[in-house]
Amino acid sequence: MSINKLLPLAEAAQRYAGDGIQYASGAGLPVGADAIAFGRELVRQGRRNLHALFHCNTQQLNLLAAAGTVDKAEVGFSGLEGFGFANGLRRVVEEGKLALEDYSNLAMALRFLGGALNWPFVPATTCIGSDIQQRSAFAPEEYPATGKIPEIADPFSGRTLGAYSPLKPDLAVIHVTLADPEGNAIMIGSEWSRFELSRAAKRLVLVADHIVDTDCMRQYPNLVRIPGLIVDAVVWWPFSAWPAASPGVHDVDEAHMKLMNEWLATEEGTFRYIDRYIFSYQTVDAYLNLIGQDVISKLEDSPTRFLLDPFRQWILDRAKVEQLQAENHILKRAA
Amino acid sequence: MSTATATRTDSAPETAERKGPLRYSRQEMMAIAAGREIKDGELAIFGVGLSLLAGYFAQEHHGPNIRSMTEGGIYGATPIGGLPWGIECNRLSANATSFTGGLDALGFLVASGRVDVGLIGAAQVDKFGNVNTTGIWDRSKGNGLGDTYTPPKTRLTGAGGANDIASGAKRTVIMVTHEAKRFVDKVDYISSPGYLEGGDARARYGFVGGGPSAIVTTLGILRPHPETKEFWLDAYYPFSSVDEVRAQTGWDLKVFRHARMIAPPTVAEVEALRRVDVTGMLRREK
Repeated sequence: MSINKLLPLAEAAQRYAGDGIQYASGAGLPVGADAIAFGRELVRQGRRNLHALFHCNTQQLNLLAAAGTVDKAEVGFSGLEGFGFANGLRRVVEEGKLALEDYSNLAMALRFLGGALNWPFVPATTCIGSDIQQRSAFAPEEYPATGKIPEIADPFSGRTLGAYSPLKPDLAVIHVTLADPEGNAIMIGSEWSRFELSRAAKRLVLVADHIVDTDCMRQYPNLVRIPGLIVDAVVWWPFSAWPAASPGVHDVDEAHMKLMNEWLATEEGTFRYIDRYIFSYQTVDAYLNLIGQDVISKLEDSPTRFLLDPFRQWILDRAKVEQLQAENHILKRAA
Repeated sequence: MSTATATRTDSAPETAERKGPLRYSRQEMMAIAAGREIKDGELAIFGVGLSLLAGYFAQEHHGPNIRSMTEGGIYGATPIGGLPWGIECNRLSANATSFTGGLDALGFLVASGRVDVGLIGAAQVDKFGNVNTTGIWDRSKGNGLGDTYTPPKTRLTGAGGANDIASGAKRTVIMVTHEAKRFVDKVDYISSPGYLEGGDARARYGFVGGGPSAIVTTLGILRPHPETKEFWLDAYYPFSSVDEVRAQTGWDLKVFRHARMIAPPTVAEVEALRRVDVTGMLRREK
């Protein structure tokens, strides 16, 4: 057996996510897989002053913003796609409680790539000429903004370009479909910028739908886009992307996407949401009961279900996963 | 937006005649008109929302060789079960032939200049085709934002990949509901560049892409003047008129001499669109 990095969710959040850190997630798209369960845990543990780096907003950032966990954020997109505006995020932005710095989707991917490669900057051929370059929520007095996407000259042609600042988040929490106990991981569906982000982050925690035997990775090494050697911890938490979707595993919970966004629109609704959908559970079982077995069955009946078929034979059963969590060498080392 | 359904006019093609009056919504007309902008064989990228329907309609109706993708790096997919909730939705992921990611789709294929056409939406658009999807600022303070950045009165969704598409695609088609509040002289915030201040302003930045070739709306089609790059009215629909389009445009909209009513949707077009839009998003009352 490979190195065992399995940690319970609460333990991983305690260990790696301190107040005030640059916290990256949302490397899945708004409706696609994001480790939203990790964000619920950050709210439960009362984290404050996080600087969020979300390639795209997700329900996780919507929640963290509404709950006052985040006071600065950088994004390429701040909506919820077909589910409309992110009401929690927009409320605190409009109230001036959260400074939201806008980029584009390519810009965020390139900034993670720049961080991953340890480049001083990344040449920008998009965002230039727009207000994304001219306006900065982090430097509101400056117009046009000079420090956000500064103009540079192409040393070869002399042409004017922009420069993107690289990103190296203190912690990235990345949702993956399958991980082995060491952190070798397979993502089903759009990878979005999880490849770049996994290399840019100083610390990396994976949240997986399923834990698989390492033989799975040996069968499909080309699909392992995140190798265990850059991973700090692996969390198993089923339906961690709920109410968003995890391709191959479950569909988006349309009703809860709407309910969550509606409740986060007000402060009072946000308290109600936290009470009902965060403080109401501690264990995986309680969490799954909260979603409801009938809902789970419906969401699992996904047209993408077949995508998981080649991997099913290596999925470890729950007892084995919990045994590995209990034997975790990180915890043992700490003790 | 789809409250007004229009009755097919006498200029409709034969195919439609046989089935009696063809009813379609304004949003469906917009989607069909936008879809007609995409030619068979092109490499095309579709943004979230109605532009996905317009794009996949084109593929279904007249472009079997359109090579379509979304910025999530979802290739070779045809949506099932209705309008995908997102560009990576399981309704698309269920039959894709390749999953990559944003850097691939928006970088290797769009920023590189390979993509022929991109379809994007807008909350606000101005006479030079600049798009705002970021926020609405208080217009009583002059032109929205002043010398200092202040939080918007209404925060919108941000640029997403539309900025990258507007910067890098060979041409862009903007789809937007035609209302005076959306068609402004100057947008509050340029989220995705059109022709900036007009003329050859784009050249200053050396954009790889060519800029918007059309603004397709619920009332008609606007295209840029070849020199000034100001958007003029190019076509209206069987149920709209030059006067109505001008009344719903917040700048003094000029009209090309060749402006005309475009062909109404054919039965084949409406049927193809509804095979893609199976949940009837484009037929919904506002």
